[in-house]
Amino acid sequence: MTVADTNFENLRLELRRGCLTLAVLAQLKREHYGYTLRKELAERGLEIDESTLYPLLRRLETQGLLVSQWREEDKRNKRFYRLSSEGEQILARLLDEWNTINTSVSRILEAQNAETK
Amino acid sequence: MELLDRYLQAVRKYLPLRRQDDIIAELRANMESQIEDRESELDRPLTQGEFDDFLRKMGHPMLVASRYQAQQYLIGPTMFPMYLWVLRIALLWAFIICMIVAAVVTPLTQPGAQAIFDALFRTPGILLQTAAWITLVFAAFEFARTRYPNICPPIEGVNKSWSPSTLPPLEKDTLRKGKPRSFVQAVAEIIFSVLFLGWVLLIPHYPFLLLGPGVVFLKTSPYELASVWWTFFGWIVALGIMQIVAKCIDLARGTWERPSHIQQIVFKIVGLIPVLVLLAAPGHIYVLLKNPAVDQAQFGKNLAQVNDAIHLGFSVICAIVVLQLAFDIGKWVLETYRSREASRS
Repeated sequence: MTVADTNFENLRLELRRGCLTLAVLAQLKREHYGYTLRKELAERGLEIDESTLYPLLRRLETQGLLVSQWREEDKRNKRFYRLSSEGEQILARLLDEWNTINTSVSRILEAQNAETK
Repeated sequence: MELLDRYLQAVRKYLPLRRQDDIIAELRANMESQIEDRESELDRPLTQGEFDDFLRKMGHPMLVASRYQAQQYLIGPTMFPMYLWVLRIALLWAFIICMIVAAVVTPLTQPGAQAIFDALFRTPGILLQTAAWITLVFAAFEFARTRYPNICPPIEGVNKSWSPSTLPPLEKDTLRKGKPRSFVQAVAEIIFSVLFLGWVLLIPHYPFLLLGPGVVFLKTSPYELASVWWTFFGWIVALGIMQIVAKCIDLARGTWERPSHIQQIVFKIVGLIPVLVLLAAPGHIYVLLKNPAVDQAQFGKNLAQVNDAIHLGFSVICAIVVLQLAFDIGKWVLETYRSREASRS
């Protein structure tokens, strides 16, 4: 791996980190347990490693953004997560922030494209 | 499934004790669901190789477990600038104190050059210990701050009392690097160096050039100089020649404006040799009696005092030169590092 590749990988991971949290919070408006959540995110185009997702769920729960409960499903005990009321508020604010950043980046790129033409 | 159990057992060992059961139960449920899904897709149980691949994809047990740990720093970003500042100041002072002890206190309290070298060689160990203690104190503080936030008040870091008006004034490059040497100055230095060397070479034949009227005392007194002074004289002449050659090379290469730092440091290091030669004189004898059989009783006591005084004098000179050398080397290393960083950016 070249230095440029390493730099890209580090920046990619940095960029993804915040986006993954946002996606997980958004997806957990509906209740899920770890594996089905991962599957649904992948179906919507966001692949996420198990070793990243499961600890992330724990961290978000510790921060009070998620609530969880153990329940039996298909003869197996599973831990189901969903967004807490505090998580809903935070998600709304994060989505506002996300939209602002997205719009700003789009504007910057559009302006640069217009200059180069 | 035995392999899954073994895998989860390995993960458990790296997990925080009070959350082990909960995390492992959740991980097991998720992994079993995933395996079931995969098996129903394939319509058969996973082969040993597929199971291995699945676990390999999950990651090393230590890595998987580490993701469940809170992010930990030995010294966090808030404390780190303060830690670095304290470390630099402490190491600088420890180094200065070590040098003073090695170059001033040791020669005054313990005889012989070996004691000075021993004191100098102790310096790296003392610096390491200083760094280790400071790191330990900051790490302990960081640990207490993150684990017991209710007991330890939040640290504002270096931001609290900062004001733009406290910023130091701009450093002028000309002040730091000094005024460049002119060509006339460089030539004059060579001429005077040659004249100085000539004067030094004439001293053994015409001692009055150094002692003036005092030469009469040298002839009539019961004392004479020890042979170590000839070795010292040889080194002084060699140093003089070396400096003249280096200055001529600078002139020929057109680099007389700013002689290199390394060259100056090398001269200072080599300049220490004559002083060390005198310090290492056998028995610290610099002055002898011309006729010991006759004069020992009358002048023997004075002679010992004179030799001790000369040794002490050269010990102090050596200490000053070593301190200055250490300062110059430190300054040179810092400037080299800064200019490299500047050229990189």
